Amino acid sequence: MDRRSFLKTTAIAAFTVATLPASALRANAEGKKILRMGYGSEVLTLDPIKTVYGPDILIQGMMFARLLQANADRTEVGPGLAETWEISPDGKIYTFHLRAAKFSDGSPITATDVAFSWNRMRFQKDSAYAAPFQPLIKIEATDDKTVVMTLDRQFTPFLTLTEIWNTGIVPKAAVEKMGDEAFAKAPVTSGPFKFAEWLPGDRVILAKNEHYYLEGQPHIDGLEFRYVPDDNTRVSMLQAGELDVCLGVPAPRMVELKAAGFRADPEPSSETYDMLINHSAAPFDNIKFCQAVSHGIDRQAICEAVTLGLGTPATSIMSPSLDYFDKSLPTIARDVEKAKSLLAESGVSDASFELIQNAGIADEEKAAVLIQAQLAEIGIAVNIAKIDSTQAWTRLAEGTYQAEMNWWYNETRDPDNALRWCVWGAGDNKSYFTRYNNDTVNKLVDEAAGEADTAKRAELYAQIQKIVVDEVAQVALYHPTWLNAYAPNVQGLILNVGLQFSSIGETTLG
Amino acid sequence: MNRFSFALRRPIQLIPVLLGISVITFILLQLTPGDPVRLMLGPKASQEAIDFVRARYGLDQPVLLQYFYYILNALRGDFGQSIAFRAPVGDVIVERIAPTTFLILYGLLISISLTLVLAVAAARNRGSWLDHIIRFICVAGVGVPSYFIGLLLIMGLCLRLKLFPVSGYGPTIVNNLWHLFLPALTIGIAVTPILTRNLRATFVQQMDADYATACRSKGLTERYIFARHVFWNSLLPTVNLLGVVVAFLIGGTVVIENVFNIPGLGNLLIRAVLTRDYFVVQAVAFILAVGVVISNFVVDLLTALLDPRVKL
Repeated sequence: MDRRSFLKTTAIAAFTVATLPASALRANAEGKKILRMGYGSEVLTLDPIKTVYGPDILIQGMMFARLLQANADRTEVGPGLAETWEISPDGKIYTFHLRAAKFSDGSPITATDVAFSWNRMRFQKDSAYAAPFQPLIKIEATDDKTVVMTLDRQFTPFLTLTEIWNTGIVPKAAVEKMGDEAFAKAPVTSGPFKFAEWLPGDRVILAKNEHYYLEGQPHIDGLEFRYVPDDNTRVSMLQAGELDVCLGVPAPRMVELKAAGFRADPEPSSETYDMLINHSAAPFDNIKFCQAVSHGIDRQAICEAVTLGLGTPATSIMSPSLDYFDKSLPTIARDVEKAKSLLAESGVSDASFELIQNAGIADEEKAAVLIQAQLAEIGIAVNIAKIDSTQAWTRLAEGTYQAEMNWWYNETRDPDNALRWCVWGAGDNKSYFTRYNNDTVNKLVDEAAGEADTAKRAELYAQIQKIVVDEVAQVALYHPTWLNAYAPNVQGLILNVGLQFSSIGETTLG
Repeated sequence: MNRFSFALRRPIQLIPVLLGISVITFILLQLTPGDPVRLMLGPKASQEAIDFVRARYGLDQPVLLQYFYYILNALRGDFGQSIAFRAPVGDVIVERIAPTTFLILYGLLISISLTLVLAVAAARNRGSWLDHIIRFICVAGVGVPSYFIGLLLIMGLCLRLKLFPVSGYGPTIVNNLWHLFLPALTIGIAVTPILTRNLRATFVQQMDADYATACRSKGLTERYIFARHVFWNSLLPTVNLLGVVVAFLIGGTVVIENVFNIPGLGNLLIRAVLTRDYFVVQAVAFILAVGVVISNFVVDLLTALLDPRVKL
C-alpha cells in the first residue's frame, strides 16, 4: 500500500462517516412504531412446546394467544381465546368456549387447533414442559368452538395454567404442513404479533398481526427482539437510543439510568435465588448439618451485596410475589452460636462441601464467596468449584454434587407449580434434583392442589412452607426483582412475575 | 517449481490440518462433561423427553461411531445439526461468516494504514520528539486490553458524541463501514502498536544498511532512498508478522464481537462451546482453521511479490 491508496481509504472512511447523519441511529424510520428490546440470551426456537428458556418464553408469549389471558401484572387471568368456560361440579371436566378469532395467516382458529396445540404440548415426546399438566388426561374438540379437557382429579390451579406460554395456540394445518422444525423458525401465530424475520445471532423481528382477536391491538407496528450478550453494551444501547427496552440491567446501573430519565424501577419477580443441596449424599443427608448451614448464612448481607437492596432476603422457599406466600414466617437471622451447636449435634466429622457455581455469573460468584466466608466462621469449609452451566445441570440431574448455586421462577402466581417443582419428592425431577423427599410434604402438596377453598389452601401452603424451611429442602437466599429499563416514551409495558409482557397489546410508543 | 504448483500444494496441506483439528475438537468435546440436550430442554423436562431427543441427534451411539458418521457426512457436505438451534449447522454458520470476515479485513485495513503512517513518520524523524511519542504510544498500546479500548470508544464516540452506533451489523457494505468502524478501530488500536514497532525497527536497520550508505554516497536524496529502496526492503518482516497477527485476530474477534454485539463466528463459538453444541464447535473450528491457512497463503504470495529471491 502506498501513500495514495492510504489517502483514498481515509477519504472513503471520512466520507462514509460524514454522509450518514446521526439521525440514522433511530431505527423508527418512516413513522413506524417499532419497539426494540435487548436481552442477554439468544432466541433459539419459536415453537412454544420445545423450550423453557428465558428469551424463547418471552418472545413466544407475544406471538401466541392462549385460552386465558393475564392482566399486566398477572394478578388475574381472564378471557383470552376462550370467551367463557365451565367447570364440572367434581372439578374434573373443563369446557372452553372459543371466540371468533384468526391466525396471522387469516385462517380461523378452531377448537381443532386448540385441541391439537394442547395435545402436542401435553403428549408429544419432546415437549419440554408437560410436567405441570400431569392431571390432564384428555383434550378433545367437541365442535368447532368447544374444547373439553378431562382431568383425573380435582386440580384447582388448572385455570391459571391455561395462560402460560407453552399452551400458546398454533395452527394444526401449518404445523402439519411445515413440520416441527420449519414451523419453529417461521411460525404462523395467534397472538398480537406475527413473525417477520429472524437474523440468527442478532435479532428476531415481529410485525403487528392484523388478524389478532383484540380489535385495535397491538398499538405498535412491530417489535425487534435483539440479542445483546454484554450487559454494559446493552445499557449503552439504551442510552444511545438504539434500544427502547433493556432487559436485565446490572443492579449498580439502575440508579444511573433512572437519573437519566429512563423508567428504571425494579419490577416484582417470582424468582428465588438459592443454594440447592443434595439430600441424598453426605454431608447434606444429615438434617442437623443442613440446619447448621442455613443458620450460618447471613441472607440479609448476601441480598444486600448482590441486589444492592433491590431484593428481599428469603424467609420462605417461595417468592413473596406468589399467592399463599406465608407472611408470618420469621426472618431467618444469622445465628453463629446456634449454627455451631447444630454442627456439633450433627456429628459430621468432615464439615466441608463443594459448592458448584456457574462460571461467569457475577451474582452467583458474589453470593458463593459470601457463603464461603460466613460458613468458615461456623467451622464449615466450602470449596467453590466454578464450572460451566451445561456441566452443572448434568451433575445436578445425576445427583453427583453436594451443593449448587441456582435460581428458579414460577410461571403462575399460584404456588402449586413452584412447590411441585421444588419440594414434591414424588416427581420426575426429585424436588429440583435435591432428592428432598418428605411424604407429609408430598401429601400436603397434592391435597392443596385438590382443595377448592381458598382459606383452606392458604392453611395447607403455610404448613408446607414451615416444614420445608425447617428441614431446609433448599437453602433459599433471596428474592430479587426484575431489573429492566424502559425509554421514557414506552408506555404501559411491564414484565410480570411470570416472565411475560402480558400488556404488550396495549403498549404505546409515544 | 512455479507459482502454479505452489498454489496447488496449499489445499493438499490443508487436508491433514483439518483432519487433525476435527480429531482434537471431537476428543476435547467428548472429554468435557455435560449434556447438551439437558440444557436445551431445560431442567423441567422429563428424562423420557431427554432420552428421546438424545437418540434423535445420535448422541446415544458409541463415540467412535459418532465420529465415523460425522466424517462421512462432512465429506458429503453435511456438517450435522446444531442442537441448540435445532437447525442444520450450515444454516447456523453461514450468516455469521460475513460479519467476522468483514470485521477482520476492515480492522486490518485500519491497522495497516495506521502502521504505515506511524512507522514512516517515526523512522524518518528518528530520535525526534515525534519518534519518542510514537514509540511511547506503541509500548502503552500493547499493554491495554482491547475490550477496554472498545468500552472507552463506546463511551466517548457513541454515548457522548453520538457519532457511531454502539452495536450491530448493517445490511450493506457502505452501511457496515460505518457500523463496524469502532470495532475495526479497536482492532486497529490493538494491532497497530505491534506492527509499528516491528516496521519502525526494520526501517531504522535498513536505513543504516550498506546499500543505503552507497546510495547516499551517490548523492541521492534521503527521501528518494527511503521511498525507492528502504521502504520496500523493510516490508518483509512486517508482512510475515502480519500473518501471525491475522491468525491471532481470527481467534481474538470473540471479545470484540461481544463488546460491540456483532453477530459473528466468535460470538457463536463461545456459545456453542458453553452449551456443548458439538457439531457447531466442530464446524466453526474448521472454518477458522481454513481462515488461518488462507491468510498464511496470502502472506506467502505477498512475500514472493516483495522479494524476488524467494522462490515459490
